[in-house]
Amino acid sequence: MQLLRRSLLMGVRLAAAALVGTALAGTAMAQSASDRAVEAAKKYAGQTITIVWEAGLQSLDPLNFSGPKWEKLTGMKIKVIEVPTAEMFTKILQEHRSGSGAYDALNVIPSWMPDLVSAGALEQLDSWVDKFDYRKDLQDISPMFRDNWMKVNGKIYGFPDDGDCFIMYYRKDIFADPALREAFKAKYNREMDVPKTWADFAEVGAFITEKMAPKTYGAAFFRDAPYAQFMFQERFRNEGGKFFDANTMKATINSDIGVKVLAGMRAENKFMPPGVETWGFVENLAAFATGQTAMTISWPPYGRWTAGYGTDDKVMSWVPKTQIAGKVGYALPPGGHPELAAGFSLSVSADSKNKEAAYLFIQWLNSPEISTERVQIPYTLRDPFRDNHYTDPYYLSRWPDAKYYLETLKQAATYGLLDLSIIQTDKYEEALRQGISRLWAGDDPKAIADKIAAQWDAITQKVGVEKQKAAYADWAGKSAAYPK
Amino acid sequence: MTHPGYAAARKRPKRDFFPVVLVGPAIFLLLLVGLFPLIYSIVVSFQGLTMTDEDTSFQGFANYAQLFHDSRLWESILHTVIITVVALPLEVLLGLGMALLLLDPIRGRQAFVALLVLPTMISPVVAGATWRLLFDHHFGPINEVLGWITGHEQALLWVVMPDLVYPSILICEIWQWTPFMFLLLLAALTGVDRSAVEAAEIDGATYWQKLWHIELPAIQPVMIVAVLIRALDLARVFDVVWALTKGGPGTMTETVSIYAYIQGFQQFETSYTAAIAFLIIALLSVLMTAAVRKVEFVR
Repeated sequence: MQLLRRSLLMGVRLAAAALVGTALAGTAMAQSASDRAVEAAKKYAGQTITIVWEAGLQSLDPLNFSGPKWEKLTGMKIKVIEVPTAEMFTKILQEHRSGSGAYDALNVIPSWMPDLVSAGALEQLDSWVDKFDYRKDLQDISPMFRDNWMKVNGKIYGFPDDGDCFIMYYRKDIFADPALREAFKAKYNREMDVPKTWADFAEVGAFITEKMAPKTYGAAFFRDAPYAQFMFQERFRNEGGKFFDANTMKATINSDIGVKVLAGMRAENKFMPPGVETWGFVENLAAFATGQTAMTISWPPYGRWTAGYGTDDKVMSWVPKTQIAGKVGYALPPGGHPELAAGFSLSVSADSKNKEAAYLFIQWLNSPEISTERVQIPYTLRDPFRDNHYTDPYYLSRWPDAKYYLETLKQAATYGLLDLSIIQTDKYEEALRQGISRLWAGDDPKAIADKIAAQWDAITQKVGVEKQKAAYADWAGKSAAYPK
Repeated sequence: MTHPGYAAARKRPKRDFFPVVLVGPAIFLLLLVGLFPLIYSIVVSFQGLTMTDEDTSFQGFANYAQLFHDSRLWESILHTVIITVVALPLEVLLGLGMALLLLDPIRGRQAFVALLVLPTMISPVVAGATWRLLFDHHFGPINEVLGWITGHEQALLWVVMPDLVYPSILICEIWQWTPFMFLLLLAALTGVDRSAVEAAEIDGATYWQKLWHIELPAIQPVMIVAVLIRALDLARVFDVVWALTKGGPGTMTETVSIYAYIQGFQQFETSYTAAIAFLIIALLSVLMTAAVRKVEFVR
């Protein structure tokens, strides 16, 4: 009997030990990427990580949210260096050339990564990804961003951290207006639907302007050249254009398609508000949010702000108050393959004196748990980029149409097109920017396209045709370089 | 026989190194911060250095040879010349006119002068940004005022349309720097010997005769210095044009400073930018030497 009791007790103890062991093991297994980063970073308590972040609203993320939170969790301090987007590449390279080690972590636009890696400015992250067991968490990043914004030559140099893409915003109430729809049908013998091609867009836009301007124009875009060059890149490829002849590396941007796109862009200005040629991000937002335009294409924050989400925050006081909340529809831009314009990846500076600590901070920022919080901060411009972001219950409940917004963003991330990313991409983009500013000044589209092509050829010659050909082949081989 | 006093006078005085010790560090520092970058730039201009690779090999005169085939560079020099030859005479004329108007004591003159020179105190990039807002198609008051004058809405794209970009740059440039000219010329005019002017008046000279034959010759040295200072400023004009047009549309208003900036800090052509810098230095040195000789200012 005693033996039996002893055996039973032993069994219970063993079972309890097994249960506790399993539970502990389970806890260890279930420890999240953010927890792992925090635990590992505690040994760096008291140290400071300097991170380069885009100046303005973007920087409020590490200044107001993630920086203080990280400090509370780990005891490490975060110093944010705010740099305007146009100067980020230069600053990062300059710092690298000086070798000062002034920056530990970086925000980089993915199309810069080949140049920055070639210059030796970015640290390869693979060993830390394995050490801190982050590889599986990277698999949850939307495939388009994960497969194209993370690696150079097969090695990880950045974590995609901002799901930038262009989507079309349109006024549901205008497109549902029975009188307008009837008049449109009478004129064009088809329904007035949200445009799926640029030809449709031109007709619908001109028609709405004809009927509603000056109160409401058919559409407006940001036309300032740095923004408009992204739109050109998108539209050119949606219309079937290729940037280069892959065999000779001769620029083919002056093909009939290139000229057609340039001519089309300028022709559309006629049904857009006067002065649209000078509009940037804010002017275009102001016009759409106040009901002056019926359609526009832009980055994801427009969708949140025109819904009124988060715009009551003090730091958002500069954002025009929306007069169209609840009236905004979301769609892919004409052609169906939006530009994944710009975006940001988080990297570690090759010159950092505190690389592991910098890595841990960016792993924590990028982790599923923390990034889900960050993409919902209304003022920081960070857009969804992980699978769980598009289905997060809190995000879905942020405003009545958030579900459609997130669905459209997910589609954009699925069908989007990468920015051109070859050696010295900015030189090619600079030629595009110049061409577009001449387009608004009234130059002949064919002459502009020819000049851009000549400039591109000269840049290619200088870089080296074979070298650039290999870089272009690498880029063009990606699934999102051209529409499939 | 040598006079003992003469021998004492011939004896070399003991060299005092104390002043050398005092000024030595300053001279060394000046050479370090002034000469070293210059020499370094010369070396760099013969290399093939870019910010994106580590190649520091020497390329001979390749960068200098490229200067002669770079049409964008010569266009940018032409744009700089256009801005200079239009803005400079206008600044001189307007500055002189304002100085002559305020030469005689009038009530509130000091306050008026202080207000007139305010634009010169503003940073050029702020002036450019302010004028960009003023020229703004949508919110800018200039189109609004033109609309009131013409009786219908004006939609002028000042910083976009080719026929308006230069006027907009020149308006901003002249607005900001005419007061500088005004201030120098007013000071010079104030110093003109009034007895000569009064003597001419007694002899029956007209206002223009007095101005042409007495006052202008008297202020000529100051005027030449002012013109040279402004000419040098205009030759490296950057901020105002950058803030207004960024050199656009296309490269239509790109000045040589903007081009050098783009080459150096956007395109990262470090060595080529150094070569551009030395071309500019050479061109300006030749022009300035010629100008100084022409006006015999060095006498």
